[in-house]
Amino acid sequence: MKSVEELLDIASKCVRCGTCKSFCPSYEILRREGGGPRGRVTLAETSLKEAGMGGTPFGPAFQKYVKDCTLCGSCHSNCPNDVDVPALILAARTGYIAKQGLSPFASLAIKNLLGSERLRPLSMKIASKLQGLIFKGSTVEHALVSRFSIPLIGGGRLVPNLPERFFMESKTAKARKSGPEQGAAKPKVSFFVGCGVNYFLPDIGEATVRVLERSGATVSIPKAQSCCGMPALSAGDQKTAREHALKNLEVFEKEDCDYIVTSCATCGHALKDVFKDLLCDSGEEDSEMAKRVDAFVAKVRDITELIAPEGDIPVKDIEDNERPLITQDGSKVTYHDPCHLRRYQGIAEEPRILLESSGLELVGMKHPCKCCGLGGGLAFSNYELSIEIARIKAEGVRGSGADIVATACPGCIIQLKDALHRYGVDAMVVHVVELL
Amino acid sequence: MLRDSLKPITTSVQKELQGLLARENLSFLREDILCYSYDATNKIVPPEAVAFPETPEEISAILKLANLRGFPVVARGAGTGFTGGSLPVGGGLILSTERMKKIIEIDTDNLTAEVEPGVITGDLQAAVEKHGLFYPPDPTSFKFSTIGGNIAECAGGPRAVKYGVTRDYVLGLEVVLPTGEIIKTGGKTLKGVVGYDLTRLIVGSEGTLGVVTKAQLKLIAQPETRKMMLVKFAKLEDAARTVTGIIRRCIVPSTLELIDNASLRCVEEFTHMGLGGVEAVLLIEVDGRSESVEKDVLDIEGICKENASTEFRAATDKFEVRDLWKVRRSISPALKRLKSLKLNEDVVVPRSKLVELITGVEQISKERGVIIASFGHAGDGNIHVNIMVDKDDEEDCAKGLQAVEDVFKLTVSLGGTISGEHGVGTTKMPYINMELGAATIEAMKRIKEALDPRGILNPGKIFPAG
Ligand SMILES: Cc1cc2nc3c(=O)[nH]c(=O)nc-3n(C[C@H](O)[C@H](O)[C@H](O)COP(=O)(O)OP(=O)(O)OC[C@H]3O[C@@H](n4cnc5c(N)ncnc54)[C@H](O)[C@@H]3O)c2cc1C
Ligand code: SF4
Ligand code: SF4
Repeated sequence: MKSVEELLDIASKCVRCGTCKSFCPSYEILRREGGGPRGRVTLAETSLKEAGMGGTPFGPAFQKYVKDCTLCGSCHSNCPNDVDVPALILAARTGYIAKQGLSPFASLAIKNLLGSERLRPLSMKIASKLQGLIFKGSTVEHALVSRFSIPLIGGGRLVPNLPERFFMESKTAKARKSGPEQGAAKPKVSFFVGCGVNYFLPDIGEATVRVLERSGATVSIPKAQSCCGMPALSAGDQKTAREHALKNLEVFEKEDCDYIVTSCATCGHALKDVFKDLLCDSGEEDSEMAKRVDAFVAKVRDITELIAPEGDIPVKDIEDNERPLITQDGSKVTYHDPCHLRRYQGIAEEPRILLESSGLELVGMKHPCKCCGLGGGLAFSNYELSIEIARIKAEGVRGSGADIVATACPGCIIQLKDALHRYGVDAMVVHVVELL
Repeated sequence: MLRDSLKPITTSVQKELQGLLARENLSFLREDILCYSYDATNKIVPPEAVAFPETPEEISAILKLANLRGFPVVARGAGTGFTGGSLPVGGGLILSTERMKKIIEIDTDNLTAEVEPGVITGDLQAAVEKHGLFYPPDPTSFKFSTIGGNIAECAGGPRAVKYGVTRDYVLGLEVVLPTGEIIKTGGKTLKGVVGYDLTRLIVGSEGTLGVVTKAQLKLIAQPETRKMMLVKFAKLEDAARTVTGIIRRCIVPSTLELIDNASLRCVEEFTHMGLGGVEAVLLIEVDGRSESVEKDVLDIEGICKENASTEFRAATDKFEVRDLWKVRRSISPALKRLKSLKLNEDVVVPRSKLVELITGVEQISKERGVIIASFGHAGDGNIHVNIMVDKDDEEDCAKGLQAVEDVFKLTVSLGGTISGEHGVGTTKMPYINMELGAATIEAMKRIKEALDPRGILNPGKIFPAG
């Protein structure tokens, strides 16, 4: 992990020019320095100088400012001095968690729901049974609306219906839990499922497997995999995040596969970029652990990257296959860039090319790469701000005239569905792979 | 000027302030104090309190209280100033205009816009563009600086060569005077000579004569088309000579920016445009009717060749244009890659003297042994001369300060001014008497005295003590 000295070095590159403010989704709405990257750099720098990662000299206002960030990374990618603002914000969050611990609700969510050892805890099962108590049905398929304001959720919020059967318990997953078919000349792909697909949007999992196998791959879905750790890390709980990273590394090392694929932009970013940071301290680039992580990372692909025409397993038969989701001819689709895919993984063209080849008409929207507002835990820590950020996206979709919004991240899908519902925009939201 | 009579914000004054503003619009928290302690000079000067007023009346009440209790008040827009204008050097209250961000009216019959001071300049530009209209002032910081800050500094930008600076677009203002009265200057009309021109007095007054709470701005029609060019040179002097050549031929580009090699190297690491090895570059844009734009491009290409340009390229699509602007806009912050401290000057000379300025600065850099990066709005004679030093190396800093003085001497001797658009603030304070005579300074001080007898509004700026 990055040392305090390294983080301070990052902070010292900031000249306080303010360029980043114009790219920050939270500053645009909050209009306070602390609600934007330049203020956050200053706060994090001071906190690190005075208390390191083990605490913070500040109070609740600090906590609020560093929490009201979606970790979208726009500030970093537009900073002329390459200041890694999100790294500083994560360090600041770690500082206050060290000082006062996770809030009871965040702790419940991270430790018991998402963060459990395996992707099928009893607690989520119970939640699935009880969801009717706090949510009521909605006009949107597979979705519910909260009846009243509840902690972490907020009121009037559209959330996905917890499915009766999580993806990891589906026939598809169970049939593929042992390692990939050996010997055959087919490319071997192991599927990193992630919480979003498993608990909320299992259809994406089904589509991922379907498209991969149709394209000639053999797929395995290791049973013991867990959460990617990003929810814990975003909340400032590096310890839990590291446990997840280690667990997943071990599980996927056992799979004798050519590729590790995910259909979640956030999981992909975690696997490709964050695991190394979590599992190796700086200056340990040559350690045994670093070599293991590098070998693991070399195999990781986002699904759109893997199956793009230029990818390792180009998708087959788009034209003649039956595409379950497309009901009417002449549908228009627009694409939303997930922050974790475009900015952190540099993947922007692949999903668009796939959409174009799907036979649908691809139309542009305003601000395709603006953050949807869900990330960095903001959807739970400040729902009001999160959904206000999403308003810009909803208006972008409305203006595009599209019937379908495609994207490549379950988190974005959940947020965009809620936003379109709230702001009265009539369009369906799906993962790119569901259209192939 | 900082007066001895200025007072801190005591607990009882804190209570009085709380009576004037909604709870969420006033903060004494250390978190906010820190966040409002800097601007783009990257210096940290903490205030004692931060207010986020929403109306001129609230500002008026704050200023009246400040006069009564003697604490300083400093208006702040986006905090992107280069001369420390918004730094509370005498302590006191920061008055942030971030909540006053309404575009009140876009009048398509009179071609005017009325805005609150916290509106981001780029947001106004985008809003008027929807009506086919154009607000030309474009400080390179337009995407994140405010109209209030632009007015206070009389900001200019690349387009100034053709369209002028902020001053040329301000028709009228609503201003809260340092003593709390709310006044109106000018109006929606294009002319007006009743009484003194207070609008022009406030524009460029660096937040020392009043707080702007509304502005009536002039708009013009969007040009029919634009064309952007990138021209490379093997010698900086050749590029400067080209600028003079273009102006002499009475061609008025909408942008005529010069960038030297030191600057190009810094942005290269961020933009990867392959310009790192080039000695000097001109970014030229012409706009107007299609026929005249095409003719201008041809003429300019000819002039560049006459002055030994090594490559001439006209941008073919909007993405290329966007990338070129990104290069230009990133320079100033990216210079940090050269050395830790930037002594950032924005001198202007009559355009016929540009070559002398450029060669003179190169000479100073050699003689003093310091790195100088030069770039900027060469078309209007305005060059950003950045003297780069290591902030922890005393000797380097001393050399840098000597170089600053040399540059100013050279500028004044060429008939120029030591600041074209960034203002005096605190950073240029020691040098104003190199340009202004004693009687001129005295006249300015008397104006300040008359409007702000207790010296509570943005004290410690422009005029050196004594
Ligand atoms: C990367 C970069 C590029 C830049 N490029 C240019 C350029 O090309 N041209 C240029 O001219 N400048 C440029 N600047 C400097 C700066 O952006 C301008 O001076 C801008 O006008 C400052 O606006 P602001 O809102 O940030 O004001 P602030 O920095 O907040 O304040 C500047 C001054 O204005 C006063 N002020 C602010 N609001 C009000 C108000 N409502 N009433 C009265 N006084 C007020 C403050 O007291 C202070 O003295 C650049 C800065 C950066 C960081
Ligand atoms: S983080 Fe980068 S863009 Fe933001 S103020 Fe600092 S240097 Fe400027
Ligand atoms: S990561 Fe995104 S939300 Fe957070 S400070 Fe940067 S731009 Fe703002």
